[in-house]
Amino acid sequence: MEEMQDRQLNEKESLELISRMIRNTQERMEEGSGTMFLIWGYTTVIVTMLVREMLMRTGSYQWQWLWFLLPVCGSIMTMIHLKKRSKKPRVITYVDKVINYIWTVLGITGFLLSVISIVYRLPILFFIVLIMGIGTTLTGLVINFRPLVIAGVLGMLLSSILVVRMPYTLQMLIFSLIFLVMMIIPGHYLNYKSRKRNV
Amino acid sequence: MFKELDPLLLSELRLAVMSILISAEEADFVYLKEKTNATAGNLSVQIDKLQQAGYIDVRKTFKGKRPQTICKVTFKGIHAFEKYIEALKSYIDIQNH
Repeated sequence: MEEMQDRQLNEKESLELISRMIRNTQERMEEGSGTMFLIWGYTTVIVTMLVREMLMRTGSYQWQWLWFLLPVCGSIMTMIHLKKRSKKPRVITYVDKVINYIWTVLGITGFLLSVISIVYRLPILFFIVLIMGIGTTLTGLVINFRPLVIAGVLGMLLSSILVVRMPYTLQMLIFSLIFLVMMIIPGHYLNYKSRKRNV
Repeated sequence: MFKELDPLLLSELRLAVMSILISAEEADFVYLKEKTNATAGNLSVQIDKLQQAGYIDVRKTFKGKRPQTICKVTFKGIHAFEKYIEALKSYIDIQNH
């Protein structure tokens, strides 16, 4: 693109410039979205497998406190990722803002339910998958990325398995597998797509 | 009838900046420079003009140790942009007839 000057444009050039600039701004929407899915997807799977392993080895439910590694590690990695991203030229679109609001509200809901589940018996794994499924579906709809919508809806449907009576360790395994399908695979695919688009 | 075109938006660079900010919540100086491919000096002058007209808000902060200029379109700017598009449409309609 040649250097832009302070020259005057005719009507046709004006309209072309406006649509080009708007298109350029909108095209970057998916950048980085995949990484957030990968951070939370991998953290969830690793922490779940860790808790499961410790429960199976020791039989002590004290290891359940390890669940809190999930918000701690996820938040630290999110902050590192955001700090790294802030070094690049910054633009915040309305879509970025909407996605941010969606995940903030759902994040608070998930955290609140997790805390409540310490005191009251709740099918917490079901709630967490459902909440993350809602977030994934909404994000997919907002950024207009169908694989994410499919993964999110699939996650929401699969969450119902977790209300079925079964051993807790099996529930944890299914929980991890759903996260693999719902967040890790679409996260990698989203990053691959946005990389290809920006080459 | 021809509607008058806002002279502030007739400039290529100022119109580009406004178009980016219309489709974004906010953008920093580096992003605007990258997308418009303008020189820092020229872009800075045009941003000043848009700010003086009340079309954009400019916030100066720090990103680490480096200064950062964040621009955001105002209601007045959105209104001016919409009026500009209407005026452009009236010109094009007349040409098509």
